[in-house]
Amino acid sequence: MTQRSFELPVVGAGKRVDHAAAAEAFNADVARTDWHDASLWFVREKRDRAASAVPDWEALRERASTIKEHALTHLDVYLMQFEENATRNGMQVHWARDADEHNRIVHRILAAADARKLVKSKSMLTEECGLNPYLEERGIEVVDTDLGERIVQLRGEGPSHIVMPAIHLRKEEVGETFHDKLGTPAGMADPNALAGAAREHLRKRFLAADCTLTGINFAIAETGGFVVCTNEGNADLGMALAPIHIASVGIEKIIPRVEDLGVFLRLLARSATGQAVTAYSTHIHGPRPGQALHVVLVDNGRTRQLAREEFWRSLKCIRCGACMNTCPIYRRSGGHSYGSTVPGPIGSVLTPGLDLDRYASLPFASTLCGSCTAVCPVKIDLDAQLFRWRQHVVESGKVSLVKQVAIGGSTAVLDRPRLFRVAGALVRFGLRLLPEPLARRAAGAWGRTREAPVPPRESFRAWYRKHRGGST
Amino acid sequence: MSGAEQSARDAILSAVRAARPPVVLRGESVTSAARMLGALGTSLVDAFTGAAIASGASVTVCSRDEVGRVIEGAVAGARSVLSFADGIPSHHAPTGDLHDLADLDALVCEPELGVAENGAVWIASSSDRLRAALFLAARVVVVVQENDLVADLHAAYARIDVTAHPFGAFVAGPSKTADIEQSLVIGAHGPKALAIVVVRA
Repeated sequence: MTQRSFELPVVGAGKRVDHAAAAEAFNADVARTDWHDASLWFVREKRDRAASAVPDWEALRERASTIKEHALTHLDVYLMQFEENATRNGMQVHWARDADEHNRIVHRILAAADARKLVKSKSMLTEECGLNPYLEERGIEVVDTDLGERIVQLRGEGPSHIVMPAIHLRKEEVGETFHDKLGTPAGMADPNALAGAAREHLRKRFLAADCTLTGINFAIAETGGFVVCTNEGNADLGMALAPIHIASVGIEKIIPRVEDLGVFLRLLARSATGQAVTAYSTHIHGPRPGQALHVVLVDNGRTRQLAREEFWRSLKCIRCGACMNTCPIYRRSGGHSYGSTVPGPIGSVLTPGLDLDRYASLPFASTLCGSCTAVCPVKIDLDAQLFRWRQHVVESGKVSLVKQVAIGGSTAVLDRPRLFRVAGALVRFGLRLLPEPLARRAAGAWGRTREAPVPPRESFRAWYRKHRGGST
Repeated sequence: MSGAEQSARDAILSAVRAARPPVVLRGESVTSAARMLGALGTSLVDAFTGAAIASGASVTVCSRDEVGRVIEGAVAGARSVLSFADGIPSHHAPTGDLHDLADLDALVCEPELGVAENGAVWIASSSDRLRAALFLAARVVVVVQENDLVADLHAAYARIDVTAHPFGAFVAGPSKTADIEQSLVIGAHGPKALAIVVVRA
C-alpha cells in the first residue's frame, strides 16, 4: 500500500480544492468506499439510539442553540469576563488575530521555558493554524497523543474526521504504519494489540514531556475555567503531568455559565459517538501548583464569519461531527476530499468563509438533503447555509465555464414557458433516437452510474390537459 | 501581555463588536431531572448501574458493612495502592514526584456524586497526586454513596461547585478508544478498569 501524503490546508496558500475530482478518486475503490460509508452510518445509528433515549432531546437542542446565539451576540462581554476570571484563577490569557500570531505565541512560551518536547491532545484549531510544522521547523518535537491523530501524524496525513481522525484507514494499514514507525511486528492488525503498542509508545512521551497543548471544548465566562472532553484520557495525562499547559481555543467556544454545561455535555457525546458522555469531561479552573497555564484565544477568521448575516450561526458548532457521519457525500467521499481542516457539511460552511476562491467547490459537496441540519445538536441550518454559499459562488463567477453555461441555459429555458415546452419535446424525441450510451453521456455526471430514463410519450402538461381538462 | 498581544486583544474585541448580530436573549434555564428520571423508569441506583456498565465500568452495590470487603476484592492482586478513601490504607511509598505513580496498580477515591443518566462520577480535587493517579493507575476504584446519586447532569451541576478545586472531572468508565476501525479498546492511555462501589443508604 502506498503512503498518501496530505497537504495541510494552510489558509491563503495553495491551489483550489476540487472536491468532485478528489471524491472521484476516492470512489475508484468501490469496496473501500462502501466500507467507509458503512463505518460512518454505524456511528450515525448509535447517535440515533442515544438521542431517542433522552425524552427532552429536542428541547435540549433548542436550548443549546439559544445559549450559543446569546453568547455569540454578546461575545465581547463574555470574552472579557472569561479573561478576567481566568486571570484571577492563575491562567495567562493570550489573544491571537490569526494562525500566525497563534503559532508565534505558542512558540514564544515554549522557547522562554526552553521546552523541546510537546505532547498534544486533539485540537482542530492547531490543525487549522498549521502549528505542528511551524514548531517542528523550530526544533520542537511535537507528538499528537490521540490515537487516531497519532496514526495520521505518523503517516504524514491530516485527520479525515474531527472526532475520528483515522476513520478512513483499515486496521491493516495502521499495522503497517506502526510496523514502519514504531517497530511493531509485521502483519499486526488487531485493534487491541495496536492500541496497546501505541499506549506504551505514548506513555513514555507523556512522562518525558516539557509541555502539553490541548484544545478546549467549552470555555466558561462566569468562572474563567474550561472543559476538555476525551475518551482516551490523553489530554488529562498531559495536563496532570507536564509543567506547562497551553490551551488553544477559538473565540466562539465561550459559553456564559456553568449550568450551560449541563445542556452541552448531554448533547455532545450522544451526537458524536452515541455515548451518553465521554469517559472524561475535565474541568480546569487553574494551574497545578508550580505549573504554568496559558490560554490562547484565537480569531483566525471567526469575527469575519460573525459579521456575515447569512453565516454567523455556523459559529454555534460544538464540533461533534454528527453532520459528517450522516452526510451521504462525506460518507462516500472521505474527509480528505474536502482539502479543509474541518470536512463535511460544517466544514463546507465554515471554510469558504476563510477563502471563497480556494474552497468554492465545497458548498457543492452536498445533495442539500438536510440530514445534517436534522442531527445538528445546536440546530445550525447547514443545508440552507450551503445553498447560500452556492449563490455567492455563482454570483462571483467562481464556477467552471461548463457549469456557468449550464446554469445560464437552464435559467433561460425555465424562465420561458414556450421555450420550456419546445425543449421538453426535443428531449423526449432525442431520448428515443439516441443510443443509450450517448444519452447517458449527454446527462453528464448524473448519467455515469444511471440508466437513461424511458422517455414518456407526452409531457405532463399534455397529459394533464387531456385527463383533467383544465387549462394551464 | 506584550504590546502586540494587547493590540491583538483590542483588534479582536472591536471586530467582535463591529460584527455583532442582533441580540438574542438567554431565555429560561433547563431543569429536566424529573423527566429524565421518568424516562429512566427505574430507581436512581438501577439507572446509574446500567449506565455505568454501558460505559465499561463494573458496579457493586453493597451495604455499609460490606464496603471494606468489596474494596479489598477490587484491589486484590495490586502491589501498589494509593487510597484517598476513609479507612482504606495506601500501599505506596511516595517520593514526592508525580512520575513515581507511573506504575501504580490501583487508586481508590470517593467521588462527590454519581449521575444516573450517564453513569459518570464527579471527582474533584486539589491533590496533584490524586489527579495524576486517576489517569496513570492501571485500575481505579471509586466509592459513591447511594444518597449522592442524581438523575442527570443538570442536577449534578446544581450540586457541585466547579470552582472549588483547580481540577474536577466527570469520569464515565475506564479510558477507551475506537480510533481503529471503530473497534472499542478499553485502556487507551489511562486506566484499564473502573470499579464502582455504590453504598446503599
